[in-house]
Amino acid sequence: MRFRFCGDLDCPDWVLAEITTLAKMSSVKMKLLCGQVLKDLLGEGIDYEKIVKLTADAKFESGDIKASVAVLSFILSSAAKHDVDSESLSSELQQLGLPKEHASGLCKSYEDKHSALQDKLRETSLRLGRLDSVSWRVDYTLSSSELSEVNEPLIHLKLQKQGAESGCSETAAFSISADKFRVLLSELKQAQALMNTLQ
Amino acid sequence: NMEVLDRLPEPDCVKLCHRLVDGLCGREPPCRGEYGATWSLQEWAGLRDSLTALFCRAVGSNSADEEVLAELQKLCSRHAHAVLNVLRSRRREVRLALLSRTDCMSSAALQDFDWSLKLALSSDKISSLNTPLLSLSLDVRENGALRPVAVEMSKEELSALISSLEAANKVMLQMK
Repeated sequence: MRFRFCGDLDCPDWVLAEITTLAKMSSVKMKLLCGQVLKDLLGEGIDYEKIVKLTADAKFESGDIKASVAVLSFILSSAAKHDVDSESLSSELQQLGLPKEHASGLCKSYEDKHSALQDKLRETSLRLGRLDSVSWRVDYTLSSSELSEVNEPLIHLKLQKQGAESGCSETAAFSISADKFRVLLSELKQAQALMNTLQ
Repeated sequence: NMEVLDRLPEPDCVKLCHRLVDGLCGREPPCRGEYGATWSLQEWAGLRDSLTALFCRAVGSNSADEEVLAELQKLCSRHAHAVLNVLRSRRREVRLALLSRTDCMSSAALQDFDWSLKLALSSDKISSLNTPLLSLSLDVRENGALRPVAVEMSKEELSALISSLEAANKVMLQMK
């Protein structure tokens, strides 16, 4: 069987196996666990102590706790990745053996965070050389060894961008003559106008 | 050593001077082969360097015509005036060339740039990404070598860059 939340592929075996683990929890506790996993996916941090408390009733061992967090994380992020609506997700999860109350609880949490989750996924998609910050300085050149009277502005630019590895940043600092700077600015504006027509 | 210029007929002298200015402005300079019959290698090199230096100096320090003629006094008057006329007609170009040399004096200078606008369709994180991205590639000349710098910007990052550059442009316009 193919599932939309798996990108129209078979459901991985481990997911199938851990769905039965989820069913051992009460639907209310599972919904609360869902909330924690969603927080993690949205980069807000996850509270492991709370998770231990939530799973205490079902007598989960640490392996089961890890597996249930992993399977919820897979279901939620994969569904958001493939833009599955909550109703379809609910029926697919029920086909995989998740009780109805569990499925609807999970899907309610999913529906609430659907667009936030997609924004987060869009934001964390691969980007090469993301521009972090720009600094500039305008100088007025009065005179030089080549020309006794220059009287022209010169712009210094410093661009800070994210390097190839995450966490490190690269800096490029250079000067631009006034004419080149005007051309650069007007071309960037052209590009911006084109970009605005795309959305 | 400029007096050897007299050996060239006047029209050829004008042509040579124009081509030396061309070389100064980054176009093709005259080559020695064409003047092999007129001058020895040493004479050619000396003449080329002193004429080029004369053009740079005259434009760089904004010399008056009399000062230029004074430097050319060893030449016959027709040749001296021919050189002066070339200088007069191309002062602006030489100034621009010297200006760009001035602008490139700092250790790194932007030489060229290119951009391309792309629509990112899909990624491993999300199946329909549909985000427009602008790639800007800059060729920065640093200590004589070209260093490529590539940045990729989303719509928000591009408008941040533009508004930053806009502020610098405003300052530049106020200077005029």
